[in-house]
Amino acid sequence: MGNVGDLGAFGAWLSDGANWTGRYGLLNLIVEHLALTALSLLIAALIAIPVGLFIGHTGRGEIFVVGLGSLSRAIPTMGLLFALVLLLGVEFRELSVLLALSTIALPPLIAGAYSGVTTIPPSIRDSATAQGMTTWQLVRHVEVPLASPSLIGGLRIAFIQVVSTVVLAPLVGLGGLGFGIIQGLALRNYAQVTVSSLVIIVITITGERLIGFWQHRTKARLTPLDKLENP
Amino acid sequence: MKLTRITALVASVGLVLGVAGCASTTPSSEPIVIGSQAYYSNEIIAETYAQVLENAGYTVDRQFSLGQRDVYVPAIEAGEIDLFPEYTGNLLQYLVPDATQTTADDVYSALATALPAGLTALDMSPATDQDSYNVTQDFAQKNNLTSIADLAKLKDLTLGGAPELAERPYGPKGLLDMYGVTVSFQATGDTTVDALVAGQVSMANVYSADPRISQLKLVTLSDPLGLFLASNVVPIASEKVSADARALVNAVSAAMTPEDLVALNVRSVEEKLSASVIAHDWLVSKGLIK
Repeated sequence: MGNVGDLGAFGAWLSDGANWTGRYGLLNLIVEHLALTALSLLIAALIAIPVGLFIGHTGRGEIFVVGLGSLSRAIPTMGLLFALVLLLGVEFRELSVLLALSTIALPPLIAGAYSGVTTIPPSIRDSATAQGMTTWQLVRHVEVPLASPSLIGGLRIAFIQVVSTVVLAPLVGLGGLGFGIIQGLALRNYAQVTVSSLVIIVITITGERLIGFWQHRTKARLTPLDKLENP
Repeated sequence: MKLTRITALVASVGLVLGVAGCASTTPSSEPIVIGSQAYYSNEIIAETYAQVLENAGYTVDRQFSLGQRDVYVPAIEAGEIDLFPEYTGNLLQYLVPDATQTTADDVYSALATALPAGLTALDMSPATDQDSYNVTQDFAQKNNLTSIADLAKLKDLTLGGAPELAERPYGPKGLLDMYGVTVSFQATGDTTVDALVAGQVSMANVYSADPRISQLKLVTLSDPLGLFLASNVVPIASEKVSADARALVNAVSAAMTPEDLVALNVRSVEEKLSASVIAHDWLVSKGLIK
């Protein structure tokens, strides 16, 4: 405890095994933080990617996509979280947290899928149709592969937003690394607050870099195709 | 109230900066700056101080909803706030984390010593708002519970409360050491009471002046061995608060009973009245203002 810059307290907190194990130990909280993030992204992706692809493919509901960007900034996540818990009941607090987190992940994912499809050169789509591809084949073999770098870019933004918002989960009785921050602030245990924050930062940067790498590789795989188009 | 704790915390940083700015630009007739926590009940108490002082001709500057202690205690210490309604036990625990006093008088005198120079704890009120362990009426009847000690015979108890309860002296460790009660802890945060009613936890830490205790017919377990620190309402005053003003605030504290405080909270929660209306009606009923 004590001063923010107290490195001794920082080391003492880390070297105390009791802070690592148990229901609210650091290890458990890290796993919970990652699980909440991954599940929320999965739920959001299952909804957002088909919707984004559909809008990009048909051109229907484009205004919806434009409004989406500003909407995502207008959602008060904490208010939504409490509203969902009150609405669904405390028995479903996990579901409430997942739904609230999925909501903030939807806009970047939809936008990523949508813009991935709309930026495909019309000549490619036309030649696919000219070869006799059905709509499903066009989507499956042309649009999805070509849209994937943009789609993964959307996932990258969604990940950053979700992984940093999971911090609110302890307010409604779940864990995650926000627990260490909220408990540490109340106890004025700044070593605990610092460790929890640092772990969140490391997870965020690592995850963002990994998704960025994936995006880069997906794009690189498509490069020969670009060359084909502009020899 | 607590639901907006984080927002209030963020907003209050701005407010505190605002207070700091104002202090230097108002040289004429210095108003008494009254602060309050971002907790509706605390705001009502602060409002009673404000109105009784205004009634006596003082100028008052209300700086309410200043978040939690981490934000406002430094502001009080810096002399930016002159008068603040506090709670003896909780404030003592903030200033001296390993304080061992539990009775009302011991806590009050320990607090007087622990306060930084320039700050005084005025008379404490009989009104309390302190941690307490509560169970549902069903659970209490089924297991014949009236005191925390009665829990010792039960197994598989889960205790719900704010995350910090896990580490508090009166948390799981205190329950085991003092009463031989074994509990597993579940951090239920702001949904503690809901979790208790839904049966997700068997007992919950709820502030004793919380209207939901009577609304939901919760049973507050007595604490014969003094596990909890007594936490009476106590005004903290700076040197800028004159002896006359202190006497007025002390009269408010003396008049406020624990039942009064619960009743004030009930009016806020059930009738959705503003702090100023609730405070005014109460002061009139006690004959403290006309």
